[in-house]
Amino acid sequence: MTICQFFLQGRCRFGERCWNEHPGAWNAGGGRQHQPSDSNRRVWNANSPRSSSVIQPSSFSRPAPWGGSREQDKSSFGSFDSGASTNRNRGVGLPQNLFASSPSTDAQRDEKKLLEGIVKDMEVWESSGQWMFSAYSPMKKKSSISGFTDISPEELRLEYHNFLTSNNLQSYLSSIQQLITQWKNRVNELKSLNTSTKIALLSDIKDGINQAAPTFGFGSSQTAAFGSPGFPVNNSMSDTAQNFSFKASSGFATAPSGSPPVFGSSPAFGAVPSASPAITTSTPIPGFGKPQVTSAASFSFKSPAASGFTSPGFSGFPAPVAAGPLGALGAPAFGSGSSVVGFGNPGSQSHTAFSKPSSDSFGNSNTSTSVPISNGSTTDNEIFTPKHQLTAEELEQFQSKKFTLGKIPLKPPPVELLNI
Amino acid sequence: MSLFGTTSGFGTSGTSMFGSTTTDNHNPMKDIEVTSSPDDSIGCLSFSPPTLPGNFLIAGSWANDVRCWEVQDSGQTIPKAQQMHTGPVLAVCWSDDGSKVFTASCDKTAKMWDLNSNQAIQIAQHDAPVKTIHWIKAPNYSCVMTGSWDKTLKFWDTRSSNPMMVLQLPERCYCADMIYPMAVVATAERGLIVYQLENQPSEFRRIESPLKHQHRCVAIFKDKQNKPTGFALGSIEGRVAIHYINPPNPAKDNFTFKCHRSNGTNTSAPQDIYAVNGIAFHPVHGTLATVGSDGRFSFWDKDARTKLKTSEQLDQPISACCFNHNGNIFAYASSYDWSKGHEFYNPQKKNYIFLRNAAEELKPRNKK
Repeated sequence: MTICQFFLQGRCRFGERCWNEHPGAWNAGGGRQHQPSDSNRRVWNANSPRSSSVIQPSSFSRPAPWGGSREQDKSSFGSFDSGASTNRNRGVGLPQNLFASSPSTDAQRDEKKLLEGIVKDMEVWESSGQWMFSAYSPMKKKSSISGFTDISPEELRLEYHNFLTSNNLQSYLSSIQQLITQWKNRVNELKSLNTSTKIALLSDIKDGINQAAPTFGFGSSQTAAFGSPGFPVNNSMSDTAQNFSFKASSGFATAPSGSPPVFGSSPAFGAVPSASPAITTSTPIPGFGKPQVTSAASFSFKSPAASGFTSPGFSGFPAPVAAGPLGALGAPAFGSGSSVVGFGNPGSQSHTAFSKPSSDSFGNSNTSTSVPISNGSTTDNEIFTPKHQLTAEELEQFQSKKFTLGKIPLKPPPVELLNI
Repeated sequence: MSLFGTTSGFGTSGTSMFGSTTTDNHNPMKDIEVTSSPDDSIGCLSFSPPTLPGNFLIAGSWANDVRCWEVQDSGQTIPKAQQMHTGPVLAVCWSDDGSKVFTASCDKTAKMWDLNSNQAIQIAQHDAPVKTIHWIKAPNYSCVMTGSWDKTLKFWDTRSSNPMMVLQLPERCYCADMIYPMAVVATAERGLIVYQLENQPSEFRRIESPLKHQHRCVAIFKDKQNKPTGFALGSIEGRVAIHYINPPNPAKDNFTFKCHRSNGTNTSAPQDIYAVNGIAFHPVHGTLATVGSDGRFSFWDKDARTKLKTSEQLDQPISACCFNHNGNIFAYASSYDWSKGHEFYNPQKKNYIFLRNAAEELKPRNKK
C-alpha cells in the first residue's frame, strides 16, 4: 500500500477509512481493546449525531465522561462520577485531523469532546464572573492546562496591601492589568482553538505537563520589583533561573523545527540524542509533521524568545504552549532571564531533571516538555520512563539498535537503557 | 436545648434591622451579630473545643488582629481578649485542652496565645505567609502543623524554634484540614495530598484533583465510627467535591456538586459562579455547611445528596464559617474576600460575624 501523504502531514480526511497506509502510530501503540471504544462511541453517538462510524453498542456502560452537562437537579446535587479515568491512556491519539468530518477513531472523538468541553468552559468562565486567576484543567484528574496562573485571592490581596504601604499602587495596578490581559488572551485562545493551540493543548494534557506560564506576572518586568514580600512564586523562580544555565544549547535553539521534542510528547528524542540518533534526524514521524511546523512558528513569533534561548533560565519553552499570553508580556519578561516563566513552581523539582546527563540539550527541549514539572501527573518527576511503565513493544524498540518506523515510542526511554 | 439562637432583640444589638424600612441587607437571616467585630475582613473562625466549658470564638482578620469572644447560651457575645500580629491573620486553631490558641499570619510566623496569661509567643517561622495551622494531638506526640505559601508543611514542637519536621509540598498551600490520624492539604495548581499522622506525619497519597479549578477550602468528614474517612474540597468555581479516601466504589461514592451559583441549577442561562470560601462539617450530624462569595451559606446532606437549606443573600461575601463543638452554633463571617479584586474593596464597610442556631437545620434528611 502506498503511504498516505496527507496522513503524514496530519491531515488525512479519511482517517481509518483511508485506503492508503497510515504508518499507524496509535494503531500500534494504542493497544486499546475494542470494548471501551465501542461504548465510547455509543455514548457519543447520543451526543454527536455527526458520527458516521457504526459500531455495535456493547453492554459495557461507561460512566459519564464529564459531569459538565449532566448535573441537574432541584434539591439534590447532580451526581457525578469522578472515578472514571477516561481519556488518559488513549495510546497516542495524535491530532491527526481534528476537524475530520467523521472522526473515526476514539482518540479523535475524545479529543474533540475534550476541546469542545474546553471551549464551553472558557465561555462559562468569562461570563460567570468567577475568579480569573485559577489553574484550569479540562477534565478532572487531568493535569492543568498551561497558560493559567493560580493565584489565590488572599495572595492578591496581600500584594495589594504591600504595594499600598510602599506607596507603589500603580505597579500593582499595572501588574493586575497584565495578568488580566494574559488571562483574557489565553481564554480567547482556547475558545478559538486554532490548530497550534490545539496541538499544544493536547500534548499538554497527555503528558501531564503543568506549566504555570505567567505565574511571575507580578514581577514580569522586574522580578525584584516585588521586594521582599514577594510573591513566593517569584522568589523560587529566580533561584531556579540561575541553575538553569543554558550552556551549549545552540544545537537545539537554532533548529527548533528539526527537533520533534519541542512539543513535549517525546522528550527523549531531544534529551538523549545518543540513544536515538535515528530519530532526531529522520522527520517522518507520524503526526509530527504538523507540530513541527507550528513549533517553528511559535518559536519564532517572539523575537525575545530567540534571545531567550541564550539567556540563562529562559528557554522558549512556554512558547509552544502559551504563545498568546506570553506575547502579551513582552520582551522584558523574557529578556530579564531571571523571571523564568513557568519554572517558578516546579523549580525545586526541575533541578533533578536538569542535572541529568546531556544537560545542554535539555536546556531547550526538555523545558518544553517539562515532564518532570508536572504537578498533577502521577509519574515521577524525571524525564525517563521507568521500565515498568513501558509496554513490551516500547521496551523492545528502545532495546533494539534502531527504531522501527511506525513503532517509535513516544515516551522517553528508561534510564537503564541509556548508554551515554 | 439551649436558649441560644432565639433571634430576640438583644442579639442584634445596634443594628437597624428591627422595625426599619431600610434595604440594609447585611443580616437578612436575622442571626445574632457578634459585638465588636473586627475592622477588616475576617479570614478565619474557630470555636473552642469541648474541653473548655462554654463557647469561645476566635476570629482572625486582615486588620492583623485575633479576637476572642465568649458566647453565652443566651446569645450574648462578650469580647474577651485580643492579640496582634504584624500581618493579616489567615488561620487560627485551638489546642485540644482549650488553653491555647494558635494563630498563623502573613507575617510568616505563627504564634501561640496562652489565654490564661494573655501572652502570645512565636512558635513557627516560614519563608512566606502561613496559610493554615492545626494542632495535632497524637498518642505519642503533639505538635502544630503549619502550611505556608513557601510550599512547605512544617511541624512544630512549641518549645523549640526548629521544626520537628518539614514536608515539601508541590505548590503553595492553600488550605488544609486535620482530624487525627488524617490530614489533607490542598495546594495551588490543583494539588491535593493526604497525610497520615500516626507515629509521625508522612505523605499518604497524592490525589488527582476532582475539581477543574483552583482549590479554595477543604474539610475532613468522619464516618459513623467517628473516624476520618474523606474530605470535601471546594473550589473557586462554585463546586464542591466529596471524596472518600478508600471507598468501596470510587466511581459512585465520590461526586461533586455545584453550589453558590446564581441561577441555581438552571444551566441554560449564563450564571454567575462564586467561590466556595469555607466548608464546615457539623460535628454531630455529619452534614455540611458551605459559605460562598455570593454572600450565602448552604447546608447539605452529603449522604442523601441533597441540599438542606440555602440562606438569603447577604450584601457581602461570606468569608469564613465554623461550628461549635456540639454543633449548636454555626458562625459565619460576612466580609469582603477579594473575589472581585481591589475595586470592590471598601475599607469603610463594616464586617460582621453572625451566629445561628444550627441544632435543627442541619439534621440529615432520611435517605430514601
